[in-house]
Amino acid sequence: MTAVDVKSAAAAPRKVGDRPAKRPPRWRRAVTGWAFATPFTALFLVFMALPVVASLAMSVTDLRSTDLRNPLAVNFVGLDNYARLFGDELFVRSAVNTLVFVVVGVPLTMVLALAAASALNSGLIRFRALFRVGFYLPVVTSIVAIAVVWRFLLDPEAGLVNNLLRLVGVDGPAWLGDTSTALPSLIVMAAWRNFGFLMVIFLAGLQGIPQHLYEAATLDGAGRWQQFRNVTMPLLRPTLLFGAVVTGIGFLQVFEEPFVMTQGGPLSSTLSVSYHIYNQFGFGNYGYAAAASYVLFVAIVALSVLQFRLLGERD
Amino acid sequence: MTRKYSAVTAVAVALAVALTAGCGRDSAGGDDEARSVADGPATGEITVWAMGTEGEKLGAFAQRFMAENPDARVNVTPVPWDAAHQKIASAIAAKQTPDLSMIGTTWQGEFAGTGALDPTPTDLIAPDAFFPGAWDTTVVNDTAYGVPWYVETRVLYYRKDLAAAAGFPTGPTNWDELKAMAKAIQASGAQWGINLQPGKTGSWQTVLPFAWSNGANIADDNGYTFDSPEMTEALAYFQSYFTERLAPTELAEGALEPAFVRGEIGAFVSGPWHVGLLNEQGGPDFADKFAVVPMPAKKSATSFIGGSNLAVFKDAKNRDGAWKFIEWLSRPEIQVQWYADSAALPAVRAAWQDDSLSGDANLKVFGDQLADAKAPPTFPTWEQVAAAFDIEVEKLAKSGEDPATVARTVQDRAASIGTGN
Repeated sequence: MTAVDVKSAAAAPRKVGDRPAKRPPRWRRAVTGWAFATPFTALFLVFMALPVVASLAMSVTDLRSTDLRNPLAVNFVGLDNYARLFGDELFVRSAVNTLVFVVVGVPLTMVLALAAASALNSGLIRFRALFRVGFYLPVVTSIVAIAVVWRFLLDPEAGLVNNLLRLVGVDGPAWLGDTSTALPSLIVMAAWRNFGFLMVIFLAGLQGIPQHLYEAATLDGAGRWQQFRNVTMPLLRPTLLFGAVVTGIGFLQVFEEPFVMTQGGPLSSTLSVSYHIYNQFGFGNYGYAAAASYVLFVAIVALSVLQFRLLGERD
Repeated sequence: MTRKYSAVTAVAVALAVALTAGCGRDSAGGDDEARSVADGPATGEITVWAMGTEGEKLGAFAQRFMAENPDARVNVTPVPWDAAHQKIASAIAAKQTPDLSMIGTTWQGEFAGTGALDPTPTDLIAPDAFFPGAWDTTVVNDTAYGVPWYVETRVLYYRKDLAAAAGFPTGPTNWDELKAMAKAIQASGAQWGINLQPGKTGSWQTVLPFAWSNGANIADDNGYTFDSPEMTEALAYFQSYFTERLAPTELAEGALEPAFVRGEIGAFVSGPWHVGLLNEQGGPDFADKFAVVPMPAKKSATSFIGGSNLAVFKDAKNRDGAWKFIEWLSRPEIQVQWYADSAALPAVRAAWQDDSLSGDANLKVFGDQLADAKAPPTFPTWEQVAAAFDIEVEKLAKSGEDPATVARTVQDRAASIGTGN
């Protein structure tokens, strides 16, 4: 880009000499503009663009941690890493786990958030401020503290959950130790942890809906449920789209919950794609892990596109 | 628009050219020759990285070295264990390493594989002064790249009172006795006869001693060899504790010690740190209620050896000073003093003659076990293979996977991961 600007600059001065220069010449404006933009551009190129391009390049090589001293002396392997990924039993397992996490977790979180927001908005509840703070608290609490509390709750012997179940005569499972309940437990925990954030967003969306629409609907004889379906839902769609995209991105990258609660176990039943990538980087398989990261990136883009299609503006 | 695209294309082309033309791995393996170290006292600044308790205490301890070498200055940077691997890897990549660093034994293959470590000058430091299993952890492709500093190993902890009631007052000595003792302890009321780690990170350190004791070899010069009849037999023996419900398949973190103190678990396999933990949790009288014995024997009584090594980097500014400091740390009398300061078990065999070590009954067991203890192979991929092994061990213990299938699956995984050399 700059190369072209410099060329035109060489020709410019003669032209300018002919008439009184009111505005600085084009090239000077370009130079000034770029000069102002240089700090950002340089930082962006060095700390954002370069790592992204480098990681993409890395994903088509067999770079390992033993190549650290000569990172350029590696072999070009084309799409081998990507092909190997889909034959990797653990990666497939982690992809399925992550998919379950998203498909169950995102709707669950949104329903919880919408229910809480509607309740707070309708004035059904006293102590509204208290509830708002209470529901939002998990969002701002450290995941480590949450993990400690939930591990106590879900403890098979001493845990609150199983003790309550025992009161009604049910023998609860070892929630985090059983392959069939570990992932659902984490989904519930993630939904509980995240719905407060969406609730605040939804609450703002609900309060943006003009009151007179509800009054008109009431006059037309619409009940509460009909009002919710035909007034609230359509007007809330942009907010719902935002919520779905943000939650979807977050849930596809799920890492913290299995990391602090189960370390991916038991029997890899809570291993997520991000966790698998983290492990592969830890083992020093940089090329392979970079390839897995790009697969996850494509999945996130695809999910977001799908959500825009389903929930976006309709003409 | 077009200009923008051409810029992107140019970058991509440049990268592609750099990748295809400028690259390709040299096939020649690093045949390093160890260089000798100059005579005389150490001089100049020696920068050291060390982790955990060692990192905190080494700075003060090094004052004694500086007293002997007045022209040298030892500068210790403590590094937290969590961050250490990443920090050392980054330092190697940036060629900004300290002169020497403490290195976990299982990292040795990976870091030596980068070519960043200086071969050990064996004329300065004699290999046979150390426990052979510990020395093996420094050897990558037949060259030693470091020196064992301290060691740890796995032994069997058992409740003396429960074992005596079960007919084994001095603990079990072989596989059959261990099984019989676990059964008898459970029969007389304990919830579990024994605890053996049922998978998850590090479970290989409990399983491999059984395999090694049965004569299994998990690697030769060419690669991993997990799939052997000896391995299968050892895995079957390990699994039997879970199928016969003598050992728990699920034990919450931190639940082992209180259960052992209460007498709900009769025995377990662990390392030296548990002596302190049990004394702390069991109170002053508990020290009489438990004891340790070497791993029960089959063909041999071979345990796992771990710990940390000290390695000098090729990019060190003060290579000779660094090796002299390591030589000093490896002297038997200094190892004994270091044990007194940090409770880290000496890697030098002669240090175990000292009363402070040989006088303690529990420590003596660890000393005996160290003489027959093995380390996993120093291939750069070992950590990844170990993680795959842990996953299969979990299947073995929890979902009743066939031992022969486990041995074969681990071998398949290990073969596809490769040695990384």
